[in-house]
Amino acid sequence: MKKTALLLVFGFFLCGIYSFSKVYFTPIYFDIPKGFPEPVYDFKNNPLTEEGFQLGRNLFYDPILSRNNTISCASCHLQQTGFTHVDHDLSHGIEGRIGTRNSMTLMNLAWSGTFMWDGGVNHLDVQAIHPITSEVEMDETLENVVAKLKQSEKYQHLFQDAFGTKKITGQLTLKAISQFVVMLTTSNSKYDKVLRKEEQFTDMEQKGYAVFKQNCASCHQEPLFTNDGFENNGLSIDTTLNDVGRMRITQKETDRQKFKVPTLRNVQFTFPYMHDGRFETLTEVIKHYNSGIEKSATLSSKLQQPMSLSDDERTELVSFLKTLTDKEFLFNPKFSFPRKNN
Amino acid sequence: MNCLLYLIDSRHLKTAIVSIKTFFLFGLVLICLSVFSQTNNDSLLIRVQFQFDGKDLQLNSTCISKQNDTLTFDKIKMYLSKPQFIYKNDLNPEEANSYHLIDIENPKSQQFSVKNSSRKEIIGLKFNIGIDSLASVSGAMEGALDATNGMYWAWQSGFINFKIEGKSSSCLTRKNKFQFHVGGYLQPYYAMKSIAISMEQIQILNNSVRINVDLAKLFDAIQLSQTNTVMIPGKEAMKLADLTKSIFSIE
Repeated sequence: MKKTALLLVFGFFLCGIYSFSKVYFTPIYFDIPKGFPEPVYDFKNNPLTEEGFQLGRNLFYDPILSRNNTISCASCHLQQTGFTHVDHDLSHGIEGRIGTRNSMTLMNLAWSGTFMWDGGVNHLDVQAIHPITSEVEMDETLENVVAKLKQSEKYQHLFQDAFGTKKITGQLTLKAISQFVVMLTTSNSKYDKVLRKEEQFTDMEQKGYAVFKQNCASCHQEPLFTNDGFENNGLSIDTTLNDVGRMRITQKETDRQKFKVPTLRNVQFTFPYMHDGRFETLTEVIKHYNSGIEKSATLSSKLQQPMSLSDDERTELVSFLKTLTDKEFLFNPKFSFPRKNN
Repeated sequence: MNCLLYLIDSRHLKTAIVSIKTFFLFGLVLICLSVFSQTNNDSLLIRVQFQFDGKDLQLNSTCISKQNDTLTFDKIKMYLSKPQFIYKNDLNPEEANSYHLIDIENPKSQQFSVKNSSRKEIIGLKFNIGIDSLASVSGAMEGALDATNGMYWAWQSGFINFKIEGKSSSCLTRKNKFQFHVGGYLQPYYAMKSIAISMEQIQILNNSVRINVDLAKLFDAIQLSQTNTVMIPGKEAMKLADLTKSIFSIE
C-alpha cells in the first residue's frame, strides 16, 4: 500500500512537471493603424507570436538562407532605407551576380495581395521562396535551407519556442519569415501625424499634398500609397533587359510592361526608383511623369495626359513626398538585426 | 479486502478465474476484430506503377516511342490529389481532401490508402493530377505540399503538377535533355486534370488497387524534336496536361 501511495504521489509530481514544460506562446495582436483598411494577410493561418516573430527576424538577418552563407534578406532589404537596396539600379545577390530588377521595399505587406514587381507571387508566405532559389540572389534550395536549420542548435530552440516543435519544415520556415515581414507596418510619418491632427503641414507641404491628390493619388492611393495594382507608367523599354513585367505572369498582351504600383511611404530613402532603378532622384521621377511619358497600347489610362506641373508645383510635390518618411519605422530597434536585448 | 476474499471462496475460485479468462479472451477477440475490420473495410491501398508501353518503367532504361524517339527518364514526380472511389447509386459522395506526391525514385510514395465504404459497390476511382487552385493560393503548405519537395515554382506562385525529365537524341537541347514541368492555377491555363476511371469490385486484389501510369501514351502523342522544354504555365503545358488524361488505367 505504501508503495502504491508513493507511486501515486510520484505520478502526480511528474504530471505537474509535464504541465509546466508545456509550451506557452506570447501572442501578438496585429495593430491596424487608424484609417488603414482591413489587412489582406490571413492571420488565422499563421497566428502571430513574439516567438514566431523573433524566429522570423533571426531568419531574415541570417545568411544561412543563401547557398554559400553570404547573403541574407537584409543584404537587399535594409531597414534604414525602407527595407530596400539603395544605390543600385539592379540589385545584386550572391557572388555579386546582378538581377534584372531593383529590389522592392518591404512595408505594410499585411495589406498586399500580390508580391514582386510582376505580382507573380500570390501569398506572403511563399514570397521568400523566390529570393532563396533565384540564382542571382541566394541560389539555394528551400530543402537545403531546412537541412541547414536542422543542424543548428540555435534554430532547433527557436523553432521549439515558436511552434512547439523541433521538427523544422519548409512550411514553418516560411511562416516564420512571414511573421517578421508582416509586422513591418509604417504609419507614423509626418503625413500620418497630420491626419491624426498631431502635427501640421508647412505651407509648401500642404500645397504639395493638393498636387499629389490631383495627379498621383489614383494609383498611389492613401493611406497605403499604392492600390496594389499593376500599371504601365510610360517608361521607355530598356532594351538591355526587355522586361515585359506582368505579362510574363499572365501571358496577356494587355499586361505588357505593367509593373506593381509601389508604395510611396519613405520614398525619400528608397532610391533609386522604378522597377529597373533608372531614376536616382524624386526630381527625375516627377520630371518623367511631367513630360517623359512614352505612349504605348498598354499605357495607364491615368497617364494619357502629361502632368504639366509648374516648377513650383514640382518642388511642392517633393516636399509633400518627404512627409511620408517615418523615422520611427526606419530606426525601430524591434525590426533591426537581432541582438540580445531587443 | 477480507470480505472480498471471503466471497470468492475455494469452491468458486476456479469458475471465477475461468470466467475472467473468457472475459479477457472475448475482449481480445473483439479488439482484433475491430482492428482488422478497419483495415479491411475502411480503406483500400492504391499502388501506382509507372510503365512504358505496358512494361514497368525504370529510370535510365531505354524506351522507344511510336514517334521513333529513343528516350530515357531521369525524373518522374507527379501530384495525385483527392483520390476517392465512386460508388453505385451514390448521390452525395463525400469530398476527399488528400494530396500525394508520387515519385518514381521513392517506392513508399507510390502507395497510399483511400477511404472506402465496404457496404457500397465500387464502380470507379477518381482523382486529380495536380493541385487545385485553392491550395495554390493558400500560402505555405505542409506534408506533400511543403515547398521543400521541389514541386513549387518560385518566380510565379503555384505547384508543378508533374515533372518529367530525361534525355533523347531527338532533342536538340543542351545535353539532349527534355524537361516538362507542368502546372498553372490561373485560367485559362489551369492545368490540373480530373481523372475518373471505371472499375469493378474484382479489380481489388488483397485490398489494393493498382493504377498503371503508362507514359508511352504521352510520348506517342508528341514529337520530342518539337516539344521538349515546357517549364511555365501556358498553352503547351495545357496540351501536355490534357495528354496525361489518357495515361491512367486500373489493372
